[in-house]
Amino acid sequence: MQNFRDALMAVVTAGNPQANHASSQRAGPRTAAPQSGFAPWKNPSLSPIVRFEGITKRFDDFVAVNDVTLDIYEKEFFALLGPSGCGKSTLLRMLAGFERPTQGKTIVAGQDITDLPPYQRPVNMMFQSYALFPHMTVEGNIGFGLRQEGMPKNKIAERVDEAMSMLELRQFAKRKPNQLSGGQQQRVALARAIAKKPRIVLLDEPLGALDKKLRQQAQFELMRIQETTGTTFIIVTHDQEEAMTVASRIAVMEKGVLVQVATPGDIYENPKTRYIAGFIGDVNIFEGTVAAIGDGCIEINAKDGYQFKTRSSEPVTVGQQVWLALRPEKIRIAHEQPASAINAIPGKVEDIGYLGSISHYHVRTAPGERITALRANAAHTVERPISWEDSVWLDWPVDAGVVLTG
Amino acid sequence: MSAKANGLGRWYVIAAPYLWLLIFFLIPFFIVFKLSLSDVATAIPPYTPTFSWSEGIGKFISQLDFENYTFIFGDPLYVNAYLSSLKIALISTFLTLLVAYPMAYGMARAPKSWQPTLMMLVILPFWTSFLIRIYAWIAILKPEGFLSIFLIKLGIISEPLQIMNTTTAVYIGIVYSYLPFMILPLYASLEKINPSLLEAAQDLGSRPWRAFWQVTFPLSLPGVFAGCLLVFIPAVGEFVIPDLLGGSDTLMIGKTLWNEFFNNRDWPLASAVAVLLLLVLIIPIVIFQRQQEKVREAGR
Amino acid sequence: MNRRFSWFNATSITLGFAFLYIPILLLVIFSFNESKLVTVWAGWSTKWYGSLLENQALKDAAWVTIRVGLMSATVATVLGTLAAVTLVRMGRFPGRTLFSGMIFAPLVMPDVITGLSLLLVFVALGFDRGFWTISLAHITFTMCYAAVVVQARLQDFDKSIEEAAMDLGATPVSTFFQVTLPIIAPSVISAWLLSFTLSLDDLVIASFTTGPGATTLPMKIYSQVRLGVTPEINAISTILIGIVTVGVLSAAFITKRQSDRMERERRKAFGAAG
Repeated sequence: MQNFRDALMAVVTAGNPQANHASSQRAGPRTAAPQSGFAPWKNPSLSPIVRFEGITKRFDDFVAVNDVTLDIYEKEFFALLGPSGCGKSTLLRMLAGFERPTQGKTIVAGQDITDLPPYQRPVNMMFQSYALFPHMTVEGNIGFGLRQEGMPKNKIAERVDEAMSMLELRQFAKRKPNQLSGGQQQRVALARAIAKKPRIVLLDEPLGALDKKLRQQAQFELMRIQETTGTTFIIVTHDQEEAMTVASRIAVMEKGVLVQVATPGDIYENPKTRYIAGFIGDVNIFEGTVAAIGDGCIEINAKDGYQFKTRSSEPVTVGQQVWLALRPEKIRIAHEQPASAINAIPGKVEDIGYLGSISHYHVRTAPGERITALRANAAHTVERPISWEDSVWLDWPVDAGVVLTG
Repeated sequence: MSAKANGLGRWYVIAAPYLWLLIFFLIPFFIVFKLSLSDVATAIPPYTPTFSWSEGIGKFISQLDFENYTFIFGDPLYVNAYLSSLKIALISTFLTLLVAYPMAYGMARAPKSWQPTLMMLVILPFWTSFLIRIYAWIAILKPEGFLSIFLIKLGIISEPLQIMNTTTAVYIGIVYSYLPFMILPLYASLEKINPSLLEAAQDLGSRPWRAFWQVTFPLSLPGVFAGCLLVFIPAVGEFVIPDLLGGSDTLMIGKTLWNEFFNNRDWPLASAVAVLLLLVLIIPIVIFQRQQEKVREAGR
Repeated sequence: MNRRFSWFNATSITLGFAFLYIPILLLVIFSFNESKLVTVWAGWSTKWYGSLLENQALKDAAWVTIRVGLMSATVATVLGTLAAVTLVRMGRFPGRTLFSGMIFAPLVMPDVITGLSLLLVFVALGFDRGFWTISLAHITFTMCYAAVVVQARLQDFDKSIEEAAMDLGATPVSTFFQVTLPIIAPSVISAWLLSFTLSLDDLVIASFTTGPGATTLPMKIYSQVRLGVTPEINAISTILIGIVTVGVLSAAFITKRQSDRMERERRKAFGAAG
């Protein structure tokens, strides 16, 4: 029993086998960032390739972007994440030059480009609608940017061919955009954005129009292209799974404000606010006040009468209002009462969501709280299966939760 | 907003059509107004005072007066011409709506493959000369014309019809010439209505005729409104139709203006007539412009 | 959805089109009438067309009309396209409401007012009246129609296509010529055709702004119509109707064939299911 639980915890924290779940960790060498050591944001001697300095954008009396300061480093795959209307697209469009900030500066590679028009900026963008030129062939579209530079014809053909073969578009070279499928159009749009070999490629919800299966393929393709070209990619997305999959760092935005900038792992494990905890993955949140502080742990009196003990690095004072955030996969669910009385709640199973490899259990506690726990559907479970209306116990270790103050 | 980034070029694009319209559309109205305060003269140009720098602006202004306006308001002929123009335009706008609505409705509900062809058939007459289309009606409406011959042969009437040179002929002419202007906005708004709305209304127990009045017609009102403005405003100032089809008793202000200008060569009086006509139309024109602007905003 | 004509709809459409087309048909048929009486059929003849060819005044008027039409349609299309770009793409600027007012008002402004006011401005500017003043007048009112036609197309044009071009290094001017113009070209062509036809048709504004020696075809036709209906006018009308019909039909045919071809290519690319 104890072995099973440890195994589950190991699975959850190290590398998750749950294919379609939000917490699925990233594959590929760079995404295991801490190991490979790709963390330029930790290196004070490096200067960022993009720096937003106190950027504010107002449309009439609506503040789309509010005092954003952000550094993005060379070769990063950086994601701007947030719900629609949070200002992420506006921030990207200011970097491309389509919008001008009301206040603040945009600096690219040390040069202030705040006042440069879009056609003089060293960035290229892949548009949400793809924005392919309907009257030009695939070749014509990809070569458009190079022609603006006045590059010799044979050189253009070479570069277009390079981009086309990188994205497997050669066979469509003479086709017009309306003769391509959605996935092919998406690849043309990407090829066009990288053909000029810009230092920074901007992607505005680049995969939003694709269906789920194609989207996952395309995410890995984006990562492959980003790695082979060694370009800095900045992606705007509202899909947290997509951001987790592709990005080296994620900036979460809410109502025009940057809420947290961190690696996907950090954001998942140590969300700064309830908003982020809820936005990325599933989470159970208990409201309460700090009852006691000591030896790296704090005790929380939850609103509904429970007492929790949890490890916390957050500076808090006794009596302060806090929230305890618990990921479903960190909560153990069992029929028997656990040995330790710490962080243990009884309840009744109300709903079970069967997702193949895992199941979600929605448990109603005595005070009426609804808690979600998650358990892998291992084939050789020795335990009796948990079923509807079963009385169960939920418990978790002191290091499972995160204490939030906002 | 994208072009905002480069300031100067943007102003060149705006300036060309802007200046053109200022010089040839807006400023002329001020000149018309100024001239409406002048007096007629046997000279070239046939009015006085003409502005000259040597005499100074003070003397020029002192010679302007409202004589033409008092004349117009004092003569029932002009007042009646305004009123009858409004009446004719109003009635014929309503008649056009009556003819156009069933057509637009039928077109919007026609098989999808037919719709482009039907649209083109509506637009085609609009591209052919206005004058020619009015001319075609003379041969139909005159006493020995096609309509009389046809009806006499059918035995419906025994005497030739007296339609030509009456206000009825003007109504027919306006309905006929402005029909496409009414059909197109009507069709556009009717075509947008989701047919499942009508199905829902009927499903909820509304009979087809009631469903039409409770669902289709209210939803087509923007089209009705746009079409009526497109017909009413130009019809008020119409000249060719009352001149060719109407009789001497058909008073319309466009015709009066034309006569003052070409026959009596009284430019100041013609200008005063124009100013008053513009005053009558300014409200519907502003409504029309607002509406177009709204359509444009919605289209973004 | 497989809709069919209902009895009511079929009737209203048939009656409506009969009303629209019977007068024109009668006019065309009787242009081939042997008799001088326009309403009594006396046998097939093309003699009225022959007599047109000998009418030098009519031919002169036609030539003036065509020159005015070509001239004003071309300038009006350029100005109208700029105006459309201004309306759709320039956002807000001082005097914008006035500008949109000046674009939309001429569409409904009675011809007599436009004609009179243009004449007075030409007199005030000291222009010699004739070919040029008619052309200037026609440019002014047709450019608004051109603007409306191009504007409609620009509106449903994905703005990010232009942004993409600028993002890839094209300046606003070269974006317009390389991307915007090719895409809106069909609407620019229709704007030109519409301006040309409107100029060809106009009687009232031309009558006000003309001077000695410049008589347009509508003015000529008008002066003859006032004297009565003659088969000669039927003949010239038929020619004008024929030109416009052929023009509109072939334009429609070309567009249709183009969209059919695009549809075929698309199908071919994806197989029948696509």
